[in-house]
Amino acid sequence: MGYLGMDVAAMTTNDWLGVFFVLVSAIGMVAVYFMVFRPANKSAFESQRSMALDDEDHINVGEKR
Amino acid sequence: MIAPFLESCKKAVRERCVRHIRQLQSVFGAFIVNLLEEETTVEATQATPVKYDMEVVRWFTIAAAIYAVVGTLIGVYIASELAWPFLNFDMEWITFGRLRPLHTNAVIFAFGGCALMATGFYMVQRTGSTKLWSNGLAWFTFWGWNLIIVSAVVTLPLGMTSGKEYAELEWPIDILIAVVWLSFGLNHIMTVAIRKTSHIYVSNWFTMGMIVMITYLHVVNSMAIPVSLTNSFSVFTGVQDAMVQWWWGHNAVGFYLTGGFLGIMYYFVPKQAGRPVFSYRLSVLHFWALTFGYVWLGAHHLQYTALPDWTGSLGAAVSLAMIIPSWGGAMNGMMTLSGAWDKLRTDYILRFLVVALAFYAMSTFEGPVMSIKSVNALSHYTDWTVGHVHSGALGWMAMVAYGAMYHMVKKLWGVEKMYSEGLVNVHFWLATIGTVVYVVAMWVSGIMQGLMWRDYDEYGTLTYTFVESVSAMHPYYAMRAIGGMIFNLGTWIALFNIVMTVRQASALRSSGAVPAKA
Repeated sequence: MGYLGMDVAAMTTNDWLGVFFVLVSAIGMVAVYFMVFRPANKSAFESQRSMALDDEDHINVGEKR
Repeated sequence: MIAPFLESCKKAVRERCVRHIRQLQSVFGAFIVNLLEEETTVEATQATPVKYDMEVVRWFTIAAAIYAVVGTLIGVYIASELAWPFLNFDMEWITFGRLRPLHTNAVIFAFGGCALMATGFYMVQRTGSTKLWSNGLAWFTFWGWNLIIVSAVVTLPLGMTSGKEYAELEWPIDILIAVVWLSFGLNHIMTVAIRKTSHIYVSNWFTMGMIVMITYLHVVNSMAIPVSLTNSFSVFTGVQDAMVQWWWGHNAVGFYLTGGFLGIMYYFVPKQAGRPVFSYRLSVLHFWALTFGYVWLGAHHLQYTALPDWTGSLGAAVSLAMIIPSWGGAMNGMMTLSGAWDKLRTDYILRFLVVALAFYAMSTFEGPVMSIKSVNALSHYTDWTVGHVHSGALGWMAMVAYGAMYHMVKKLWGVEKMYSEGLVNVHFWLATIGTVVYVVAMWVSGIMQGLMWRDYDEYGTLTYTFVESVSAMHPYYAMRAIGGMIFNLGTWIALFNIVMTVRQASALRSSGAVPAKA
């Protein structure tokens, strides 16, 4: 337990900043997982699957013949 | 008020660029003529045209092909120096210590940087259906980046170094890097902002993530107190200096060599395979997982040092967790070929991209395993690390870059095929075999080193002296040099093939037989 112990009284500003960023990252990651795997969002995401291929429709119009 | 001023600036820069190109034209002949023709004759042919600024992309692509040759050639030379030390010729400018940072800077920032900027500008225009926010700024980025590379070529062999790994250049060049990198970032982000499409494709997210993080990492890691124009001292000391160094070092790998090149993968694999990306949801998750996760990894480079024990453990734990998104992304790329695997028989460019994904999966498993303390006790400070880095750099980064470059060359110069499709295949096999020979040599050498260094006899004393371990490495160092030579030969072939393709396109145009767009 000592390995994971946390002396709150001794924590510096840097320590608190570190805790803040850890929590923001963790919560952000959970939010992304929720957003990506939510069934209701599936079709919205997957509708972009072919975006890289779709640019062939207009790529040639601006380039030299 | 500001808009006309900016427009006049852009016009002036563009005119200046064209003037410089015309001057170069007289020196380099037909090759440059071809580039210039492309620049000045871009025009719309339909009612709702989309004009792209692809000239700067062409130049970045050619530069990347040249720097790949130079960077790997220096690598071969210094690898040969380790196997056959007489190659130092007692000249301090060409010793391993001076040339090694030149090699790493050349392959990572010259070759890798030009490939990233070429593909970055290419993808952001095409997926956004818009031209660059500022073509003049893109040219500033091109010439500025090349000025940095020339500065590295001059200063590093002269021994001017800050001593920070992968950030050896001295403070005036560091400031120039920040300015030029920001010009690339501003242009890319503003081009995204003016896009005509509603969605921002995932490749652009990877590129923008790289831009933001590398700016932050480079500025913090390079903070130094200048003593003279060619000497400075880091503002960090002791263990903080080590921590900042590897916070930069591993995130350069994470956001530049991995994130940036994953952006390339997510655009060019579907493009070359002619299939939509297997799972767009997984690609989004891949991006955010890497973005949130990679920043924690640097401490795993400092196991068993003065760094607090928990930081190394945290770095290793997050490294192992990163296997999940990394493999998810690799599988996503591989599965994009579902229904198109037969193309691997005939499409040599696709081979580059798929083998790159295999090396990406392998490296992102090997790295986390090496970060585990018990494995790290054996692997750290040995050639195993060098092998791991090169499996990523040659197998992943260079392979995916070449796949993208071959694809772009055909599009950019409007040809159906490369000058020689057979030579693309020859290059593919040379790159693959060269990488495998290199990596296997370093695996064997590294594990042997680790075992020799930790071997004790019955009296508790070391079995081998350090010099005995050095002597035992000789065959593997020779093998590594040969692997590098094979890979380097492939880069020469690629450069030849690309130049001949450009010349062929030029000849076709001047003869009136305009090549069809791919």
